Amino acid sequence: MPEIRLPAERKYERELRALIDSDKGPRPPGWSMTPRAVETYVMGAKEAIDGVDITPKYIGDRALVQVAIATLASDRALLLTGEPGTAKSWLSEHLAAAISGTSGLIVQGTAGTSEEQIKYGWNYALLLAEGPTQKALVPSPILRAMREGKVARLEEVTRTSSEVQDSLISILSEKQIAIPELGEIVSAERGFSIIATANTRDRGVNEMSAALKRRFNFVQIPVVDDLEQEIEIVRKREAELRSDYEVGVAPPDELARVLVTMFQELRKGLTKDGKTKVKPPQGVLSTAEAISVLFQSGILAQSFGSGSVTAGDLARALSGALAKEGEEDAKSVREYLETVAKTRPGAWKELYGATKAAIRS
Amino acid sequence: MAKRSYASVHLFPVRHHSPRTSFVLERMLERVKPALVLVEGPEDATPLIGALVDPETVPPVAILGYRADGKPGSALWPFAAYSPEYVALRWAVRNGVEARFIDISTGQSLATERPRPKKHAPDEHRGLEGDAPPEELASDATPFVADDSMFDRIAEIAGFRSFEEFWEASFEAPDYDESSFRAALVGYAELVRHEGADVDYHRARDAFMAKRIDEAIAAGTPPDRIVAVLGAAHAAALAISDVDDKLVKTLKRTVKTATTIVPFSFPRLSEQTGYGAGNRAPQFYQRAWDAGLSFRRAALEVLIDFSEHLRVRGFASSLADTIEAYRLACMLADLRQKSEPGLDEVREATVATMCRGDATHVDAFLWPTVIGRNVGKVASRIGKNSLQEEFWREVEHRRLPRTDAPEEFVLKLNDPVQIKTSIFLHRLRVADVPYASFLGTGTIMGRGRDFAEEPGGYSALSRVKEAWHAQWTPATDVSLVERIVHGETLGEVCERLLAASLRDATTTAAAASVLLEAVVADAPATAASALTACDRLASADDDLPSLAGACRSLSGLVSYGNSRHTLSFGVSAIEPLCVKTFERALLVVVDACRGNDEAVEPVKPALRILHEVAMGQPLCDRGAWLAAARRLAHDFEVHPATAGMAAALLYLAQEIDEEEVAVVVEQRLSDTLEPERAASFLAGFLEVNALVLVRSRPVVAALDAFLLAIEKDRFRDALPVLRRAFASLGATERRYLVEQIVRLRRLADHAQEAARVLNEQDAERLRAMNEDVARAMEELDDLL
Repeated sequence: MPEIRLPAERKYERELRALIDSDKGPRPPGWSMTPRAVETYVMGAKEAIDGVDITPKYIGDRALVQVAIATLASDRALLLTGEPGTAKSWLSEHLAAAISGTSGLIVQGTAGTSEEQIKYGWNYALLLAEGPTQKALVPSPILRAMREGKVARLEEVTRTSSEVQDSLISILSEKQIAIPELGEIVSAERGFSIIATANTRDRGVNEMSAALKRRFNFVQIPVVDDLEQEIEIVRKREAELRSDYEVGVAPPDELARVLVTMFQELRKGLTKDGKTKVKPPQGVLSTAEAISVLFQSGILAQSFGSGSVTAGDLARALSGALAKEGEEDAKSVREYLETVAKTRPGAWKELYGATKAAIRS
Repeated sequence: MAKRSYASVHLFPVRHHSPRTSFVLERMLERVKPALVLVEGPEDATPLIGALVDPETVPPVAILGYRADGKPGSALWPFAAYSPEYVALRWAVRNGVEARFIDISTGQSLATERPRPKKHAPDEHRGLEGDAPPEELASDATPFVADDSMFDRIAEIAGFRSFEEFWEASFEAPDYDESSFRAALVGYAELVRHEGADVDYHRARDAFMAKRIDEAIAAGTPPDRIVAVLGAAHAAALAISDVDDKLVKTLKRTVKTATTIVPFSFPRLSEQTGYGAGNRAPQFYQRAWDAGLSFRRAALEVLIDFSEHLRVRGFASSLADTIEAYRLACMLADLRQKSEPGLDEVREATVATMCRGDATHVDAFLWPTVIGRNVGKVASRIGKNSLQEEFWREVEHRRLPRTDAPEEFVLKLNDPVQIKTSIFLHRLRVADVPYASFLGTGTIMGRGRDFAEEPGGYSALSRVKEAWHAQWTPATDVSLVERIVHGETLGEVCERLLAASLRDATTTAAAASVLLEAVVADAPATAASALTACDRLASADDDLPSLAGACRSLSGLVSYGNSRHTLSFGVSAIEPLCVKTFERALLVVVDACRGNDEAVEPVKPALRILHEVAMGQPLCDRGAWLAAARRLAHDFEVHPATAGMAAALLYLAQEIDEEEVAVVVEQRLSDTLEPERAASFLAGFLEVNALVLVRSRPVVAALDAFLLAIEKDRFRDALPVLRRAFASLGATERRYLVEQIVRLRRLADHAQEAARVLNEQDAERLRAMNEDVARAMEELDDLL
């Protein structure tokens, strides 16, 4: 049975292979390719390399990606911050895949993340039977990354408790984890680093201790505010999802444009022509949300609709997305449709009619 | 095309204010050791070269060309220490080699009106406006002004985000040798020189400079002993002999001009955007230049500076952060295939490390550090004109700010020295020399700023304190040079300018305000003639606002005029005039109040002014004013707003007591058939004194009754006026009003009753809850 979602290093295996083969420059120790090749992998290349097209993985500010890569080549760890749905984890996955050849050394930060998940734990059955041995040790992804000289990923670092955050400080500054039970100290191989992500909407980055902050270089991933750029992202990612899941039909360009325009205008609280003020919703209308709405509308059209995506399908997918943000947000979208969408031609008008029926609440 | 005689001249292409260009140029001069150095710059400024590179002169400085035919117009040619033109001139003078400017004269340049390139918006030259059309300031440092979008396109094709970044990475940072640098720059210039606006003008200048070079050769200097330092596009044109001699004729005839050197500053240098003049961070480039063009060193210095800056402001910034920022900047440069880190790398590295991802500090503090705030100094042998002399003498003597950075200070006007300082600043203001602006009378931190106050005029008379904001900019010196046509001293300039505005004054108030300006700026001659003008105009004036304004000004002079010790004529000369305007104002006051809404709008403040004067100035007949006000208050023919105002003023002066006020107000408010008139009366009344609503219960009762009695559909008509009337009430006043109404309608009693009922219900509910809780506890016990 094929996996639902392949990790980046498998999905883009050919691209990575081609880049590694054609990359002749000096590599930082432990890296599988040069920083410039990593940049090419993330941003895409205009011309094929060794006959392989390098597709852009992150569409946005090149300078920001460069700062991220340069940071990983230095001795500081990288912290990607930003609103939800701005592709922080996406970028972190691809950076890890390109630099270390694996994006799988990952710790998901939650309120329940324990120090064991950061450092190491034990297989208690073996521990009781044989005492502390290498075999009984369960290394964390971070410990494994240190041993192998790879990049570990730590998602949502600000969600973890301060004890866990504190334990990171010594890992990041000493680049060592002591295992007193075995009388051993594991020192990181060169190439080890950590990419952490933090959500600015959650408990703030400000709650991290100054000592921990000092171990990171910060790269803020902005919310996309360029219309064409966001449409490109949404369309590209939606097409990827469609081929991964082998379900859904392609929505027409016009609907994607309408959806992204609507998200951007709602986010900003102002229409593109700057003439009409709209009430921005509380919830986050992220790029990721737009992708999922568009993808869903394709599934709806295929399974329950006419076979091609209509404004009605989009409206149904949209109302599902809005439902989780609560009544207030549905209201501000309704207001937006009344004041803005109604007056616009074509797909806007259809969406207005369809949404009115769909989110009558 | 025929080979021209200048083909073997050493043409050196430059970008203005580019340190790399200067660096390469200096090496080239050392190698060639020319006998003559020709530099792009106005040829009539050649006599200034000695002073320009005098050891006493500290760049940034600028050559100022200004029209000497009485018409406005001036232009600046700025130089930094690392501008290639400056470096060439300094080399020439140090080595005893003749140097000359060969571009068209300032006169020709000022005679030409050229379209302004879009991005060089005038507001970027804040403070440089004066009389000079700002485009001249920007463009003449610009050899050719192509559309900025073209430069953006070049940068984009080369893979950079901005033209400045492209330039820095391609031309400033790499260590070029002479020939490859020239080849690169000429190649680049050749690519772009046919683009953009006014190509013809620049081509005409090509021809003009080619001619000057020809002449120098004809005069006997061998061409290979000549170095010509020209803007890259001009050099490119000459290098391939693409010069059309006929174009020289298209240049405008010269106008009469004079030239001098004025100090310039880094902040102004950075404001000149665009290819030719561009230098977005003069201090950064100065650092690189001082370090032998090491951009790494400049980057490190900036980072250390910035980290100190953060610490001073109370942000944590460790040495480890600085080191990391520097390493990150170098690594980024490496990743971008740049030979050395530039400004963009410094900025991004700083954001990621020291600023923890937050760009606000960087944009607020880092940019000022890289721009710098240096002001140049001009050698004393360049004669300053008398106004500049006076300005700098006074600034020195009075310890006023002399840098291109804003500074604020407060003057106390009971100290004779500070009074003089105030006069000096007011004179600069009257003479329209951009240097100091008046902030207010309060303390700097206080509310003085929110509260827009006129710098001069009536309010200036009674001040005991003045807060000022001062900043020297090159525009200060430029306008000092230009103002010389009006007089030799600041005093003279003020007299002349004020006399001119007195000639334009057609109302008594206008003449009186010139009089006040003349007093504040100490211009006694104009003050005397303004007094005469006031007298003359007042006899025929029957405009109430004008008369009231003049009356207040004159009354102010009578009361405070002597406190500044600047009045040359006695107060006795003003007294009769003050009384005269007051009496005339009373004559016309009732008529003035009979108008429609629009007509009485300016009358309302006039009434308040008259009241203020009548109450404060013993010379004026207070009784006569009160009588007039009383007439207004009871007159149903005048505009109700003015009547309301008059009534309120009387009440304020305690001329009518509360009972009478209540009667007057009730009378007006009883008119529920025409609620707009009543509402308008109310608006006029409340504008002066809202306190009555707090204090007088009868008035509140009348108001309440009035509002209830208005018919439903009439209410809507009256609503806008009513709203306006109540909008002026403060929070406290509103509260008192509501309390009055509450008491009036006995709402409080109802509320108490309601509260009592609520309390009882709550008690019952609490009892019920208690039982629930007790039961729950028991169950819990059972479980455990």
